[in-house]
Amino acid sequence: MDDTASLLKKFQKELSAGTVSLVLLAVLGQSRQPLYGYQIAKRLEELGEGALAGKQSALYPVLRNLEAAGLLASEVEPSVSGPPRRYYRITRPGREVLREWIDAWNATRDSVDKVLQGELR
Amino acid sequence: MNTPRTIAEYLEQLRAALRGADPALVQDALYDAEEHLRAELAEQPGRSEAEMLQKVVGSYGAPEEVAEIYRDQEIKIQRALRPPPPPRRRSLPGRFFGVAADPRTYGALFYMLLALATGIFYFVWVTTGLALSAGLSVLIVGLLFAVLFFATVRVLSLVEGRIVEAMLGVRMPRRPIYPAQGLTLMRRIGRMFTDVHTWTTLCYMWLMLPLGITYFTLAVTLLAVSLALIGAPLAWAFDHGRFDSWFVFRHATIDWGYGPHAMGWGDAAAMCAVGIVLLFATLHLARGIGRLHGQIAKHMLVPRAAA
Repeated sequence: MDDTASLLKKFQKELSAGTVSLVLLAVLGQSRQPLYGYQIAKRLEELGEGALAGKQSALYPVLRNLEAAGLLASEVEPSVSGPPRRYYRITRPGREVLREWIDAWNATRDSVDKVLQGELR
Repeated sequence: MNTPRTIAEYLEQLRAALRGADPALVQDALYDAEEHLRAELAEQPGRSEAEMLQKVVGSYGAPEEVAEIYRDQEIKIQRALRPPPPPRRRSLPGRFFGVAADPRTYGALFYMLLALATGIFYFVWVTTGLALSAGLSVLIVGLLFAVLFFATVRVLSLVEGRIVEAMLGVRMPRRPIYPAQGLTLMRRIGRMFTDVHTWTTLCYMWLMLPLGITYFTLAVTLLAVSLALIGAPLAWAFDHGRFDSWFVFRHATIDWGYGPHAMGWGDAAAMCAVGIVLLFATLHLARGIGRLHGQIAKHMLVPRAAA
């Protein structure tokens, strides 16, 4: 029992390694205004477990990597009620990359679905 | 480890869980965690810190889990961003000439040249800023000026961190230190002055002038000398005694240590060989200086508290 649970956890971790970047880029691509890390985490929380398997702390390093790759831009703004916040928004190259990633994701999902359905039949 | 009850406690546990990790990574991780926790706390003002943390341990992750995630991420980043390590060469000439295939060598060499410009800029900025801060301190605006000046120094230290990471390949922080919370303005300003990190950063900026001059001089001189020596046969081929009248003995003479004699093809070839060896020795020196300077930057620009 313990073994399957740990295997599941490992599988989820490996799955999310690729999808987290896509999901973050998509969230920022759809948003009209820049978002800060906490807001993104809350939005994903509303969607449920699936979008982000794992802890929210994993978001921040990924955001930073996407920024380092030039797909996101960020700026710090002092807030009225709380701490200063780092707002992220998608860049033009980010949008292009997102389009390509969505195609790649669709292709992967379709082929995985086909294999899984074939197995059930 | 028991559940943390305050944000400070949470951060302390996270720092403990990250013990032994790269100080730059620790600084980034602490910044992210503090930003998230404070945002969570600001979301529902009525809730106590302890209640909020209880929930956060589930969503954001317990300190140990967060530490684990950051360590994992760091390994991935290193693998993705670092250039592939040059193949290890066993033979002595392989190790000596292999330095030319190491991308880090050229980064370090370029940093040595750049260090003169950045060194002068940092030095001027810090000296002017400190002098004006001290001079204006008798006025009310003096305090404001000093605070602004220290803020610019922090930004400069982040910028220098980016340069060092890009050229010397030493992991440096990408986020500043989270500003202390819950202190009055005066206490916060006071902390700025008593923080050792502020002063090591200032010292680094000062030190960059002599270091920058040294690096630049070494790089330019050694490169020029080795290139000149390497070009000796070329110069000899074109010369044919046309410039002999320029020399004291009416000949280009050379002295290898057993008396001067007129130059010949053998001497030109020997000079070329010396130049090639010198060029590669210079590359070794550049790479060594790059490593050394990376460590200096890391120790002076990344606060000890994060380590």
